[in-house]
Amino acid sequence: MGLYYDSWLILFSPLFAFVVIVFGTRMWDLFSRPVKATAAQIEEAHEESDIHYMEKEGPHGEEETLEEDEDPQVPYLTMGAKVSGYVAIVIMALACLYSWMLLLNTTGVLSIAPPLPTAGVTIFSYNWFVQSGGLVSYIVAFHIDTLAIAMMTVVTSVSLLVYFYSQGYMQNSAGYARFYAYLTLFTFSMLDIVFAQNFLVIFIGWELVGLSSYLLIGFWINKAARPAEDRPSPATASIEAFIANRVGDVGFIIGIMILFANTGTFDFATLAGSGAHGVAHAFAGNLGLLTLAMILVFCGAIGKSAQFPLYVWLPSAMEGPTPVSALIHAATMVAAGVYMVARTYPLYLAAGPQALLFVAWIGAFTAIFAATVALTQYDLKRILAFSTISQLGYMFVGLGVGGSLYGPGPGMFHLFTHAFFKALLFLCAGSVLHAMHHALHRETQDMRYMGGLARFMPITAVTFLVATLAISGFPLFSGFYSKDSIIGLTFDRGDYGLYIVTLVTAGMTAFYMLRAYILTFAGKGGSFGGLWGGPYRGAAGVAGQPWGRLEGDQGVAHEQEPHESPPTMTIPLILLAIASIVAGYWFGFYGYIWPGAPALNLGDILTDWKTWVGVVVAFIGLGWAYYLYAVVGWAKVGQVVYNNPTLNFLHRVTLHRFYISELYALIIRYGVLGLSHVEAAFDTYVVDGIVNGVAAAVRGAGRDLRHVETGRVQSYMVGFFGGVALLAVLVFVLVTFVK
Amino acid sequence: MLTLYHFVALGAILFCIGLYGAISKKNAVAVLMGIEIMLNAVNITMVGFSFFNTVKPYSTYLTGQIFAIFIITVAAAEAAVALAMIISIYRKRSTVDVGEIDMMRW
Amino acid sequence: MDLATLLFWIIAVTLVGAALMVVLLRSVVHSALALIVVFGMAAGIYLLLNAEFIAIVQILIYAGAVTILILFALMLTRTTNINRDSNPTNRLWWVAFIICLLVGAGTILAVTISPHAVAVNGNGGGQIPANISNVVRIGQLLYSPSSYSYVLPFEIASLVLLVAIVGAIVIGREEDQ
Repeated sequence: MGLYYDSWLILFSPLFAFVVIVFGTRMWDLFSRPVKATAAQIEEAHEESDIHYMEKEGPHGEEETLEEDEDPQVPYLTMGAKVSGYVAIVIMALACLYSWMLLLNTTGVLSIAPPLPTAGVTIFSYNWFVQSGGLVSYIVAFHIDTLAIAMMTVVTSVSLLVYFYSQGYMQNSAGYARFYAYLTLFTFSMLDIVFAQNFLVIFIGWELVGLSSYLLIGFWINKAARPAEDRPSPATASIEAFIANRVGDVGFIIGIMILFANTGTFDFATLAGSGAHGVAHAFAGNLGLLTLAMILVFCGAIGKSAQFPLYVWLPSAMEGPTPVSALIHAATMVAAGVYMVARTYPLYLAAGPQALLFVAWIGAFTAIFAATVALTQYDLKRILAFSTISQLGYMFVGLGVGGSLYGPGPGMFHLFTHAFFKALLFLCAGSVLHAMHHALHRETQDMRYMGGLARFMPITAVTFLVATLAISGFPLFSGFYSKDSIIGLTFDRGDYGLYIVTLVTAGMTAFYMLRAYILTFAGKGGSFGGLWGGPYRGAAGVAGQPWGRLEGDQGVAHEQEPHESPPTMTIPLILLAIASIVAGYWFGFYGYIWPGAPALNLGDILTDWKTWVGVVVAFIGLGWAYYLYAVVGWAKVGQVVYNNPTLNFLHRVTLHRFYISELYALIIRYGVLGLSHVEAAFDTYVVDGIVNGVAAAVRGAGRDLRHVETGRVQSYMVGFFGGVALLAVLVFVLVTFVK
Repeated sequence: MLTLYHFVALGAILFCIGLYGAISKKNAVAVLMGIEIMLNAVNITMVGFSFFNTVKPYSTYLTGQIFAIFIITVAAAEAAVALAMIISIYRKRSTVDVGEIDMMRW
Repeated sequence: MDLATLLFWIIAVTLVGAALMVVLLRSVVHSALALIVVFGMAAGIYLLLNAEFIAIVQILIYAGAVTILILFALMLTRTTNINRDSNPTNRLWWVAFIICLLVGAGTILAVTISPHAVAVNGNGGGQIPANISNVVRIGQLLYSPSSYSYVLPFEIASLVLLVAIVGAIVIGREEDQ
């Protein structure tokens, strides 16, 4: 049992790493940097490093370096910075190892410790504020059970791979140590959510991951917005992320409060139980209120997991460095919402069926909405962002249809497999962007500059293809098992609407993912019928396209050929590709996290007709994408779309993401800010008016009352004897009339 | 028969006449004359009370009359000082209008 | 009505009339002369009240010294034609009138309806033993060291007079450069 009770080490080790980095190695890094580089040193560093600063002629002919400010580079990393990376990686490796041991132990593969009780064990508990015998008890408690072990394995593994990858991606960055500090903070926050035993602790972790996300998205502080490419600045994007999360948190908090007010406890196990403080007892006659509370709690997940309508922050969050996108916005943080619903699943089961139905339909709508938008984007990371939103929708559909038999199984299984292939997709994208940055000397995520990169970056291309097939649900890859089981479940439960929606989305997913692959790595004219290599557009290749030259494109000096990324970046890709294939084969996953759920059975899957319908749909999507982009060619497709008014209209609407971001901007400008102007006016005129009015009244009274002092004795005597006269009158009145 | 009320009424009327003079006159000496009338009124009232007092042994103390003596003393002293002040002000400002002596105004 | 009452009414009417003349006459010197009448009549009232000493002192001090003082001050502070407008009234005369009316009425009312007046009628009989006069009694009261006396106020009064003399001289002297 010591194995379980010592697992608080997994939770607190990233925090320890954070403290060491922030107060130790980062300080070391900052203090050991050279004070000011001489011109000769800068020149020498320019010669040695791979990064070439693009010199741009200013309006009066002077040279300006554009990107130095946006992404500050150092000629070489100091020891302190490198050690920051090592500290984070080593600690995360140990934590990952520990979690894998826990996982293997509880699945029965290893036998280091006795089996874990079904209800899990509390590994750490601290009475923060307990009123003895009273209603209030705020306890910080962490516990593990199989669900937590499954999640923590994912979190630590993906974190480890991302930390390793960042060594290559963030090399020569001036903020290297800061990046690792934020990454460790994030991992700690995510593990806090995973280990949480009650709503308070999960909320702490919830907000902390929001904070880490804010810090990491806005990592490049000075980077400007790019309106020509419809990209906000990272600073704006980070605020957008935080605020969108916060909007969801309002519902979350209200939901928690409703639960607390009626049951008197925050603890998950107590709430789910059948005791006096459980929801079954407390909401006995009032099921509608419980349903409302659970829907509100789900609102927090809407914000955190980027479902409709609070998804707008996720595409903007792509402004952060790509390892961040891989870790946070693909595999872990956005999955926190799914995890939270899974964690409180007994409460959802106790509430009315509307709660889970709501969850499922929000998920389904988001899935198809995001897939539609992803069809026409040309920003590589944005396609992946919308793909994430869409897949998260799938997870919520899976949670919604799980019911009491499967529990959170289907949704969590898709989370499990999705973490691997989505992280892989993002890391591949990072590899591509890194290479394109070196080639074009310009930071861009636009696929119109790419094409045929498989020639130059074979490892990246292969792993991207593996991930594409996984996400499309190609048979025998991991997505096939997780996604198609969800689609099958919707049909089994009779939710035919959900079935149609998820099926169509699956087709669209296959289409846009293969489109992304072909436009980036392949193209018409490549080998294997256009699936490998092909024409590389680069800076010049944009010119032949129907959309002509891009706005704001100043052309590129010193263009080079892209090349494969260093091993620190490709090794995680390979590992994740293996995981994308293998992770789907854990058939006992459902039973692992929800005892009593039936296991997946390969025979049943292969003989079920719904599976083959799904496969056919996926192949239609893949085939159509192949036809359009590898056979016909992007240029020709673009011309057809451009010339046809309907297609052009649809293309424009989906390209601009249905103009929802613009709608939100309007709402905020006229609604929120308008209201704030009204309140500001109230504050200035009414509140300040009262305060200043009192002062003005006193001043005015003083100004008018000083005329009483005339300086003349006789007027004073009038006052004096006038008072006496008044008293005389008063005496007379009182004496005669008041006996 | 003379009663106390006669003298008190007389004193009150005189006091009010003196008060009127003190408040409504511009000439400083006239104000002083009003004040003298007021003091005399008080004296009359005092002596009146002393006369009608029958409580032994206090009636042998003639308190009202002694009080009147001291009032006369102080009134004389005050008149002297007041007139000295009026003359001094007259020298400075060539006026004896009390309405114009208002340096203590706001 | 008996002699005392008759005398009282005559003196009282004269007194009030003279006081009215003091405040209403246009010439300030005429007012000062009316003031002498006031003082004189007040002395008469004291005589009616068996206060001979006070009456004499009234004539001596008030009608004698204070009046002369006032006349001297009037001489030394002449600003305008003394017969026509040397005793003007200011703007607030009607306020003063009302106030004085109320105060006077209030005082008279207060005394007449008050249940606390100890004695209303009397003839001043039991005040002093029959064989000594008012002057002797006041002398005893002012100076006696052994029986009940007002010696201390007397001494203080002398101090007051000293201060007044010095003060008047200081205030009234000419400032020479």
